[in-house]
Amino acid sequence: MPERRVILKNCGVIDPRRMETFLNNDGFKALTKALNEMTPDSVIETIKASGLRGRGGAGFPCGLKWELARKAPGDEKFVICNADEGEVGTFKDRYILENDPFSLIEGIAIAAYALGARQAYIYLRAEYHYLLELLTKAIAQTKEGGFLEHVDIQIREGAGAYVCGEESALMDSIEGKRGEVRYRPPFPPTQGLWEKPTVINNVETMMNIPQIVLNGADWFNQIGTDRSKGTKVFSVAGDVDRPGVYELEMGSQLKELVVDLAQAKKVKMLQIGGATGKIIPHTMMDTPLSFETILGAGAITVLDESRNIVDAVYHTMEFLAEESCGKCAPCREGTEALFGIMEKFNRGEGTERDIRHLEDLANAMMPSSLCGLGQAAPIPVVDSLQHFRSEYEDRIKQKQGGAAK
Amino acid sequence: MSKVKLTINGTQVSGREGMTILEVAQENGIDIPTLCYSPDLRPIGACRICVVEVEGSRLLVGSCHTPIAPEMVIQTHSPRVLEARKVILELLFGSHCGSCMLCNKANVCNLRSIAADLEVGLPRFQLRKRFHPIEDVSPYVQRDLTKCVLCWRCIRACQEIAKQSVYATGYRGFDSKVIVDCDVPLDKEVCRDCGICITYCPTGALTRPTKLGKEKPGKSLVITK
Repeated sequence: MPERRVILKNCGVIDPRRMETFLNNDGFKALTKALNEMTPDSVIETIKASGLRGRGGAGFPCGLKWELARKAPGDEKFVICNADEGEVGTFKDRYILENDPFSLIEGIAIAAYALGARQAYIYLRAEYHYLLELLTKAIAQTKEGGFLEHVDIQIREGAGAYVCGEESALMDSIEGKRGEVRYRPPFPPTQGLWEKPTVINNVETMMNIPQIVLNGADWFNQIGTDRSKGTKVFSVAGDVDRPGVYELEMGSQLKELVVDLAQAKKVKMLQIGGATGKIIPHTMMDTPLSFETILGAGAITVLDESRNIVDAVYHTMEFLAEESCGKCAPCREGTEALFGIMEKFNRGEGTERDIRHLEDLANAMMPSSLCGLGQAAPIPVVDSLQHFRSEYEDRIKQKQGGAAK
Repeated sequence: MSKVKLTINGTQVSGREGMTILEVAQENGIDIPTLCYSPDLRPIGACRICVVEVEGSRLLVGSCHTPIAPEMVIQTHSPRVLEARKVILELLFGSHCGSCMLCNKANVCNLRSIAADLEVGLPRFQLRKRFHPIEDVSPYVQRDLTKCVLCWRCIRACQEIAKQSVYATGYRGFDSKVIVDCDVPLDKEVCRDCGICITYCPTGALTRPTKLGKEKPGKSLVITK
């Protein structure tokens, strides 16, 4: 399947600094339609019928989330757009924010209308500080155009923590606290920001909303696979000739994206979904990309044959140990222990016993950690042990260390 | 309050709406170990030692903060749960200083009693030790953060019971630490004569300062679980 631009259709077409160019490309048509022709409930019904699932990685049905928040008691509700794109190797949201901030604002405004929220936030990653001006101007222009009379959109900047991409830590951060995850239940749609019903959606999810409202649920339903509707934006990086952002229909094969579009050669392994993503060997390149199989947030890192898996996992664990928030014990101590063991392999001192310990740690951390970081942190270790165990064993036999940092 | 029927370890029990799994288990004489939990403080679900298996849930859930639901089927001591608890404890011990022989609170230490119950011996995993100098500036609280297991009980006790917010969380990941202001030794005017944090500390990290020639303070402490 070739590239199909649905979400990215305005990127590179409009001038992100001028609203007129956006208006000339069907801009705010969906918002006007929603505000004038639809009730909040019918907007939610449309989103539900479209089968849109959250693009942040977990794939929770978007319409259901909205419905829960709409039905939750309370007058004050919030919409948050998660633009804390911290996952290693993802840059799709940045591309969207840079090129088409108006569609994002339109999506947020529709969400706020459907929920009855009067306040919306865009949580912008600290590293994307340079986009603050562009976004602020876009919001101001939209306001001047009279499209934001029902909601106030504000931007909140992060402080550079990976874990703040996790929704509950993100809410803590907006509240002005240290970004720490919360336990669930209660879930954000019932008790979120300041314990009020809150809907948190990824940038890409929000980008889908105007398209669905404008073109209808049936149109959206035709794209994609049975349980994953629509298109997905991927960021491909690593050992490829053409790294970049690509939009494909759900269910496209991995090799179409990596080999045909990004032109990777001599692929050894791919990591799908960032630092905590699944590692798959090159032999499984015909896997379709969808929520049923593998997807994550759409970050794909390609490593070619010159790379060593143990080194790659070592660096991933170093990152995760540093980015754990430190609240819950299994993640705080576990990521450090995983990193400690990987460091032993890196020094050439790994043993059989260490492999067993890696597995013990993974089995305990994955079910017991408080949030997705601790739950997913051992995945690179588990997957690399499953597919590339021989590389660990070679290191043990040869007492060989890894490449210098 | 309506009654909620559920099954714990194969036995039909009932609780009232709004109770947590831990509360129902305790009412029915089932012992789930806890570290960061205290009935007087708001739960935070940080230590993950109280995790239990709930049928239909992919993950283990923290019993101290998960509300009960009708027809829940819970296993509090399945092999999967016990293994997770053991690994977490071994991790905590892996970075703990291990000077129990010299610790004033050794015999009333929550961490040690849980470890004894779960038959955790020498830890499998070797971690960096957290070494911090002893802070004995304050005449009321002596902090030995080398012994801290980061249960965050002192922070919550200070906030919720003493209403003072002297402590806060600092740094992140493995380097997380209970700090005062911008990580300076505790010497605050607001912190006097209260000692609530010492009462709630599960280990020997917080103690009353010993003065030479006076009785050791270990006896007078009341440790709540």
